[in-house]
Amino acid sequence: MVTTIWAGLSVGALYSLVAIGYSLTYLGSGGFNFAQASFVVVGVYAAYLGLHHYGQSTLATVVGGAGVVAVLAVLVERVAIAPVRSHESLLVTTVGAATLIDGVVERIAGDQALQVPFFGSDKAFTLFDGRLRPVDLVLILVVPAIGIALTVVSRRTLFGLAGLAQSADRDAARLYGINPRRYAYGSFILAGLIAGGMGVIVAPKTSAYSTLGSALALKGFVALAFGGFGSFSGATIGGLVCGLVEAFAAHYLGVNYQVLAIFVLLLATLLVFPTGIFGRRRARAI
Amino acid sequence: MDASSAVVKTFRQASRRGWVVTTIALPLVVILAPRLGLGLTAQRTVELTILLSLVVSGLNLCYGYAGELALGQVAAYAAGAYVAGYLSIHVTSDLLVSVLAAAVAGPVIGLITGIPGLRLAGWSLAMVSFFTVLLIPDMVAILSTYTGGAAGLNGINSATLFGHPLDGQGLYLFMATAAAFWFAAMRNIVASRRGRALLVMRESTVLAAAVGLPVFRSKLTAYVLGAVPAGMAGAMLAYLDQFLVPQQFDFSLAIAVLAATVLGGRTSVYGAVIGAAILELGPLRAGSFENYATIIYGLFLLLGGVLLAGGIVGLVRRGVRRLVPPQPLPEGDEDADGAPLVLQGKTLTVNDVTKTFGGATALDGVNLTARPGQVTSIIGPNGSGKTTLLNLVNGYGRPTGGTIALDGVSLDRPAWQVARLGVTRTFQTPIVSDDISVIDTAAAARVSLHRTSLLSVILRLPRFRRLRAEDGASARRALRRVGLGEHAANPGTSLSLGSRRLLEVARVLCADPAVILLDEVASGVDEDAVANLARLVRTLADAGATVVLVEHNFRLVLEVSDEIYVLAEGSVITSGTPEEIANHPDVLKKYLGTPVANGTPVANGRPR
Repeated sequence: MVTTIWAGLSVGALYSLVAIGYSLTYLGSGGFNFAQASFVVVGVYAAYLGLHHYGQSTLATVVGGAGVVAVLAVLVERVAIAPVRSHESLLVTTVGAATLIDGVVERIAGDQALQVPFFGSDKAFTLFDGRLRPVDLVLILVVPAIGIALTVVSRRTLFGLAGLAQSADRDAARLYGINPRRYAYGSFILAGLIAGGMGVIVAPKTSAYSTLGSALALKGFVALAFGGFGSFSGATIGGLVCGLVEAFAAHYLGVNYQVLAIFVLLLATLLVFPTGIFGRRRARAI
Repeated sequence: MDASSAVVKTFRQASRRGWVVTTIALPLVVILAPRLGLGLTAQRTVELTILLSLVVSGLNLCYGYAGELALGQVAAYAAGAYVAGYLSIHVTSDLLVSVLAAAVAGPVIGLITGIPGLRLAGWSLAMVSFFTVLLIPDMVAILSTYTGGAAGLNGINSATLFGHPLDGQGLYLFMATAAAFWFAAMRNIVASRRGRALLVMRESTVLAAAVGLPVFRSKLTAYVLGAVPAGMAGAMLAYLDQFLVPQQFDFSLAIAVLAATVLGGRTSVYGAVIGAAILELGPLRAGSFENYATIIYGLFLLLGGVLLAGGIVGLVRRGVRRLVPPQPLPEGDEDADGAPLVLQGKTLTVNDVTKTFGGATALDGVNLTARPGQVTSIIGPNGSGKTTLLNLVNGYGRPTGGTIALDGVSLDRPAWQVARLGVTRTFQTPIVSDDISVIDTAAAARVSLHRTSLLSVILRLPRFRRLRAEDGASARRALRRVGLGEHAANPGTSLSLGSRRLLEVARVLCADPAVILLDEVASGVDEDAVANLARLVRTLADAGATVVLVEHNFRLVLEVSDEIYVLAEGSVITSGTPEEIANHPDVLKKYLGTPVANGTPVANGRPR
């Protein structure tokens, strides 16, 4: 029972991570960036290359991964987000960017799953009567910490408030001297830094394989929908809930019911709380 | 006639008869290709192109026409395949029966996934539909008794047709013929008032509701209809390969379908074939390209989404439009300007209506009566609640208190139902589209006026033909009346703001309106256009319609109105004839900011 909870929370932290990235770039640029999960995947491969292939230290790998993915994120913003206006086209172009990234990664790294060792111990231990590995605990602690940090920054600092303001109304923000373009860039850089830097923790959990992206992208979206667009705490909790639902479905119903259970969660969320648990209802404008 | 205009004329005639090529000649060539010496490998490529193009055409219908990016077609494709496979093993291998069963199974999947997703539309629908693709392997595993699970479904028999076994050639013939029928049907659907209705909805759900289209139901219809060809294709795949595994329906297929749609042109029928053919000849072909397929899809999607908005078909259309400029309407034929306009107005009563948004009161006990044959104007400063009032009448919101009625019939119902009672409106920002011509924009108002069944549309039955003729005549008449006849065939976006407002009026006219709500129809247009609009507004009322005008242009209001209501902070402060309002001290204070001596001469009332 507790083991299932630990398993659910640790895999849920991955979905939280993707959902936090979605929220970040959504607030920054106003668009939904399907390629967010691919950033995480590139971070995972960067961790494999850094730790395993080049034998670098963990710190160097974190810095390198964060840098590489941040550059990639800016590129995606320039090519797939900035020139596109309608929301539907945005979905097409960011799905395109994600597909392109996944395809390139697959070409370079092959389609075999690559194991990445955790920098700490790999030995499972018992906590509150449940078994888990150190990497699970780190994920469960670090990802929510990121969510909380972003919530605090966005609510308590002038910089964060200006970011929220420009996400609500870009034209009005311009009149107050806020440059929305800068926030769009900034949000992608930050999302890239987080996704890339987290590679060393995500990789030991998932190992590196090329089709990781689409599953993460979709489950991350469920987390986002559950928590509400643009809410960091919502994204964090949404991811953890998703992970728990998945773990319990696998435990009690069988492995084949994992995705189905999350799908049901998604449908239920959309029907009952269309704006998410923490989302605010926006009045319809004519 | 010089050579170039002769070429243009030939082109024009050719493009009018283009459907003969695409719906008859081209499919015939494909069907007969094996007899003309098409090799077996090439035949296989054609078969795969047919399957992919059917799935893609479903997405085109949903994304290109109805405007919802929903990839549920892949799930419908899988459902069709497994249903046909199961039937073949346990019931019958008759191809026709299988394809029909699959054509039902696909839409069932569409219905189940569409209802929750479409309630929210946009990203949510897209992601729900992506998710259905992710679910396919699990569903196949859960239903492994019927589907063979991850190991695959073996033992699908060769297809038969009416008891006769079909060989490879026969199967090819059937597939090509079935696809030809589907594409002809789809062409008839989109090249009709129904197709136009979908485009209108894609451009603006607000406008769609205003012309009487139930948005949710229309989108669901398009989505479910889009699952029909996908299901059919699935059944054909089952008999083509006689073996099914869930990997045939994975996420990368969904991406390929999307890439083909974007590449070929989402708002097109045959773009699906072009996109599918390019993919089958390129990245999907086994061998050299295989390892790069994902990269190529990604590039297609990026380039298509950023640079090539209309896809290849869009490119061709733009080229043709440049070569052969669209023709203006011929001067005065069956529907000359002289015919008197007769409209059947109804009395609109707004009784003690209140509207609050959260804590803010937008309207506070408003009473208003608008009568047939009269122009009833609502004036007032920004934020006084004018547009809110229109929106309530229109059904875009419900009053917090009070009632709105039309000839005694309550208007407390959704916008599309209000529209069907004869309430029409124009918008502050006219809604036009690049993909809808001026004349079709006007005709769109008639979609809900006289309805036609889908069957009648597909088979072009007499009722459909008659309505089509009436739609055309009505739209031509309306365009001439507002003076846009020469722009009839141009895209709506080619018009200036003033002309767009005239087009909105033409659209309203096409609906045989009882009530016409004009929302700031004269804002942002020049003097001549205002004079033109003033004449039009008067014509509408004199024809018998109930005209409600919301307007800032005080002179225009005084000129055309029979009765004027002055709103301020959500309440009617006074109402009366233009003369009374023009001399009302409170109005002058509100409007001009300074008290004006009584009896100051103002612009004359409208000339009678």
